[in-house]
Amino acid sequence: MSALVHSELLKFRTTRTAIGVLLSALALIAIAAAGTVGTAEEISLGTAQLTQDIVSSALFAGLIAFIVGILTVTVEWRHGTVTRTFLATPQRGRVLVAKEIWMGLFSAGLAVLGLALVLAISVPWLELRESSLELDRDALALAGRIVLVTILWGALGVGIGAVVQSQTPALVGAIIWILLAEALIGALLGLVDLEGVADYLPGRALSSFDGTEDGGLSKGLGGAVSLAWVTGLGLLGYLRMSRQDVT
Amino acid sequence: MIEVRNLTKRYGKTLAVDDLSFTVAPGTVTGFLGPNGAGKSTTLRAILGLVHPTSGRTAVLGVPYGDLDKLPHRVGAVLESFDAHPGRSGRNHLRMLAAAARIPTSRVDEVLELVELTGAARRRAKGYSLGMRQRLGLAAALLGDPEVLVLDEPANGLDPQGMRWLRDLLRELAREGRTVLLSSHVLAEIAQTVDEVVIIHHGRLIRQATMAEVEAMAAGEARVRSPEAERLASLLAGAGLQARSIGDGNLAVAAPPERVGELAAKHGVVLHELTTERATLEEVFLSLTDSDDDQAGAA
Repeated sequence: MSALVHSELLKFRTTRTAIGVLLSALALIAIAAAGTVGTAEEISLGTAQLTQDIVSSALFAGLIAFIVGILTVTVEWRHGTVTRTFLATPQRGRVLVAKEIWMGLFSAGLAVLGLALVLAISVPWLELRESSLELDRDALALAGRIVLVTILWGALGVGIGAVVQSQTPALVGAIIWILLAEALIGALLGLVDLEGVADYLPGRALSSFDGTEDGGLSKGLGGAVSLAWVTGLGLLGYLRMSRQDVT
Repeated sequence: MIEVRNLTKRYGKTLAVDDLSFTVAPGTVTGFLGPNGAGKSTTLRAILGLVHPTSGRTAVLGVPYGDLDKLPHRVGAVLESFDAHPGRSGRNHLRMLAAAARIPTSRVDEVLELVELTGAARRRAKGYSLGMRQRLGLAAALLGDPEVLVLDEPANGLDPQGMRWLRDLLRELAREGRTVLLSSHVLAEIAQTVDEVVIIHHGRLIRQATMAEVEAMAAGEARVRSPEAERLASLLAGAGLQARSIGDGNLAVAAPPERVGELAAKHGVVLHELTTERATLEEVFLSLTDSDDDQAGAA
């Protein structure tokens, strides 16, 4: 399995898309962190809430991990490399597991890098404003959840990629779902007093877990529901991959 | 050894492969022939575990492809579609495959050298010509120094030098005892490379034969021109040889020209011309597939 994961790493490293995606992720996080620090009012300096807001900038790593997760699978169908991949490893479930492990490592690395970037930007900037980050237990717990939620976003992307396989519909559909469809479904369910059901949708569950969803599920339940979505989509993706003909 | 037993593959209402059975022996190069759409690619993909048979089974080295361990060392394959990421260099494509099979990078450089692609190894694959893409595919197939090679239309895009290089390579691999199966829709293209042919049409087996047997099918008739054509025809008939007049003192005889010449000399028949009318290999191939069309039409 480690050889397959190494192969996935090489697949990622050896195209220009990888560098572009990585730089985009870091740029997004940097802009978010700089924006939060730069626009913070004097009164909020040194508060735990501002620290939480600044650390939360690294949550953009989750969005990028989600996109990379989808790309990691769909690129195989887009460029026909899936044929060579399945020739080398006919046990298609192993291919999917290797991609999930690789995405887990990538997502964790990206989140840690994002958090480091947030610190690198905010600590000296806050010092210039004669303040500092309040890195208390809550802030560290948030940082830990950011790493975990980024891993879950990446794994969710792999599952969606395995189910849909066609790159553009997978990417566009998934982003529309997360950014628009879940809110719309929530609003519609609200009309029949079932808004709480929408909290179990994947995007909202992940947001409950990282603490950015107001109300909704508890952090623990949000994490569990997110894991259920990741597992369910992974299994569905495996069933589709293992039964299909590669022509 | 490759075995295909009663393989049938149906895509919806389309029957791509129809109860196909054949065996490919080790130490030989076997041509897998059929017109476009005959079911060759589907059969090869079924052998390689990429397509699930509707019924029947396939085995490589005695087991289904998916059950083989140390796969790149057992089977190498090149399929018709290009399977490298266009944004990745040829060398990185092979490095990625080597990593999955724990093959050292030094072997990547070896196969690049073998397929004469070293000069272009660091260029992105999207800039490769068709011939270079075929060579990269072959390099991927040879990466694990496999016992069995399955190649789908490997001659596509190769220039005459490339064709000769491929022929020599495949002959050498067969001499080493490996099993080589290569598909083509042009018999003449692979005639000098293969020991045996498996000919399919409409997904069905038409004939499995050695190249010597195919050559014999192409041997054709003797053509003889004589001022005593009628007398010669009756002498040939008396010797049990079928001869038919094709006008102007010409006869077509279903026999080797040596036999006709000897009979004419023995009876003092004057001959003005004695030749062999050979069918080309392609004509043999077409006659076999056309006869299948006729049978299908009659049915």
